[in-house]
Amino acid sequence: MAFTGNYMCTSFKQQLLQAKHDFTASSGDTFKLAMYTNSATFDASTTDYTATNEVSGTGYSAGGGTLTNVTPTTSGTTALTDFADLTFSSATITARGALIYNTTTGAGTGTTDTVLVLDFGSDQSSSAGDFTITFPTADASNAIIRIA
Amino acid sequence: MTDFCNSQTGFVSVSTTSNRGFTPEEVAERCLDKIISVSSDANPVIRDQALAYRNNIKALIVFYMKEAIKSDRTTIFNALIEAGQKDLAEAVRRL
Repeated sequence: MAFTGNYMCTSFKQQLLQAKHDFTASSGDTFKLAMYTNSATFDASTTDYTATNEVSGTGYSAGGGTLTNVTPTTSGTTALTDFADLTFSSATITARGALIYNTTTGAGTGTTDTVLVLDFGSDQSSSAGDFTITFPTADASNAIIRIA
Repeated sequence: MTDFCNSQTGFVSVSTTSNRGFTPEEVAERCLDKIISVSSDANPVIRDQALAYRNNIKALIVFYMKEAIKSDRTTIFNALIEAGQKDLAEAVRRL
């Protein structure tokens, strides 16, 4: 019962081939990031957002925060996409990891299809402060989602 | 021939504060990481130039971030005055 690393969900890979996810800025799908305690058990087989073991506290609402998409681009032979950093302000929370999921998969509404499992490596806490998730440099070697 | 296709996930980092927000300097560091990265094994001459450029950009970002904070406090000050919260407005002005 713990986070065991970062994963790109297998169901997401299948859905990519079915053209069900759109990461385009502004006009694309709505992706959210939900955070969890280390009691959560997620890996590549995770298919849907769940409220079980989701963190709770001041400054955080169930379902998490909405991400700002950055339109996918290419670098050499690698395609990649990125998100803007996400901050939960004036928050008192402790989280060990997160799920990124799509709430509008296939132009639907209220969907919960997972994209990534993110392991923070250790419990991260804020107390009446800011809790910021910083996405990696958007290049061919580091971007949050890459297809090479 | 079909090329091998590999999907990969990057690593996020988490920054937190307690009983305060991030300072302009802390936010500027995050911003700089998006603008410029300097390889530790880069040619020393190029690396030094890149680091000098990075420091100059940081000073610029911090300055204008502080300007934005001051301007936003002016907006909040006036919103509080309009709401009849004169004491609160004064407290915000003194931050």
